[in-house]
Amino acid sequence: MTETAVVAPAMSRERVGFSLNRVGIIAMNTLTEAVRQKVFNFFLIIGLVFIGSASFFAQFTFGEQMKFIKDTCLGVISVISTLIAIVGTAQLLPNEVENRTIYTILAKPVRRFEFLLGKFLGSLFLLDASILAMCLLFGAVLFIKEQGMIRELHQAYGVNLPAAEATDLNQQIQQVTKAALDVDLVKAVVAETMKATLVAAITLLISTFSTSLVFNVIVPFMIFVAGMLRGAAAEVWAGHKLLMALLAVVPDFGLFSIADEINLGNVVPWAHIAEIVVYGLVRTFIIVVAAHLIFSRREI
Amino acid sequence: MDAIRTERLTKKYNLGWRKGRLLALDKLDLRVREGEVYGLLGPNGSGKSTTLKLILDLIAPTEGRAWVFDVPCSKVTSRLHIGFLPENPYFYRYLTGAETLEFYGKLCGMGGAPLKRRVEELLEMVGLTGARHRRLAGYSKGMLQRVGLAQALIHDPKLLLLDEPTAGVDPIGSKDIRDLILRLKGMGKTVLLSSHLLAQVQNVCDRIGVLNLGQLILEGDVQALISDQRRLSITVQDLPEAARTRVEEAVRAAGASVVSMEHPQTTLESLFLDALKKDQRGMGHHD
Repeated sequence: MTETAVVAPAMSRERVGFSLNRVGIIAMNTLTEAVRQKVFNFFLIIGLVFIGSASFFAQFTFGEQMKFIKDTCLGVISVISTLIAIVGTAQLLPNEVENRTIYTILAKPVRRFEFLLGKFLGSLFLLDASILAMCLLFGAVLFIKEQGMIRELHQAYGVNLPAAEATDLNQQIQQVTKAALDVDLVKAVVAETMKATLVAAITLLISTFSTSLVFNVIVPFMIFVAGMLRGAAAEVWAGHKLLMALLAVVPDFGLFSIADEINLGNVVPWAHIAEIVVYGLVRTFIIVVAAHLIFSRREI
Repeated sequence: MDAIRTERLTKKYNLGWRKGRLLALDKLDLRVREGEVYGLLGPNGSGKSTTLKLILDLIAPTEGRAWVFDVPCSKVTSRLHIGFLPENPYFYRYLTGAETLEFYGKLCGMGGAPLKRRVEELLEMVGLTGARHRRLAGYSKGMLQRVGLAQALIHDPKLLLLDEPTAGVDPIGSKDIRDLILRLKGMGKTVLLSSHLLAQVQNVCDRIGVLNLGQLILEGDVQALISDQRRLSITVQDLPEAARTRVEEAVRAAGASVVSMEHPQTTLESLFLDALKKDQRGMGHHD
């Protein structure tokens, strides 16, 4: 080691309040970890391959092709975002404890809540970036398909059309464009993002008291499945107070599944999306607070 | 003001249902004075790491309290002036050496040009300038230990907690760390280090405390503890055999007895370091 003078700006402040800056630093580090370790690129690549290839399997009528592409892509976004939410969040705290990196961070003037929130937000950044990447490809697939369909329509109708056929062609082109540029798809993606956020929050809560990665993956997945079947279970368990009380704790993940409604052509108003988002945010907030209460007392 | 003060600090770990509790630390009263190097010694499981974790508020005491510069350890502000190097540290393997120091510096509220300068200074000080852009996944154990020391120093803390700082480090790295601890002492820093490598502790510590089964069984000034006031050692050079006999007679005449007369030995560590220095190819370096 060399004889360099050790001179550093001493920290003068003697108060350490909650700092969004520190939360952001930990979140960005979590995102960097995910990107550089390439574990999640695997899930993302699978999702992108499925979305990218969706149009190649659609050998139906124009309307059916669009419906198939939307069905497939929204399904892939739903599955991959749920997987990333669970796997990406489940390992956050166990890895920090196992690698002892948590010691060096909490030995600095960092609050445990800042650490927990930073790790969670980093996981959400990863999740949202993955969903954004899948949506961009989804949009590109729809655009390419739309352009291909319009080209095929022009070829089918030919040139110098009589007025009646030209009107018919324009109507068909409008239908294709409407099907491709469907604003309701945005609603479905918003609902899926909120669902994945809630799944990530549940996984974070589990990982605050469990050190087993397998447990941290399986339990949130089981809660997710229970939440998807909540509506059916409520009918079957009606009258069983204990089971119904247990069911009340599990979030209703069925609420977020609006892709089917949209693909069936049913109108899903923005007000309903707003309700879903508020439901998801309130549940996420409560779960993160519960995670904090457990983590703040945890011995490391 | 004491840098560290504990009063009846006690920690019992729950071993699980029907297994009872393990007493890891038993009513520890410890005072580490500002500016001194204090060695916490003891065998594995004696409570050294538990003490450090309690000071850092990583675990909660079952009984008793602890303060850092008179601030209760349960408060985040107590960690404003602490730099900590854990035993066998593992850092984020995907970050480079420079990124690692920048990350910890930002957590301490540093940023911009001062942080960049500080990172460069510390990388140079711990001899990692050449490896600054290499990811930690490619660092040796000694290099990880040195980047660990650098992150502990990033915010220029007044107190350093070093948990087994030379564990697993080769003799050159070990000597570097000892030299650094002495330099930090010279700068007025307080150092609390835990170790079971007694010879190394002896060379750097002002005071030591020995823990066993969670209790402090011995404490005091290192030189006072290890010097034997009843014996005197004189080292002479080129003494003829006849003169040696006369010295022995003089000792006996004074009513004392000669316990041993032998040629002084160098330490294996000195021998090792001298051999490396004499090697024409230069001394092995960690970069």
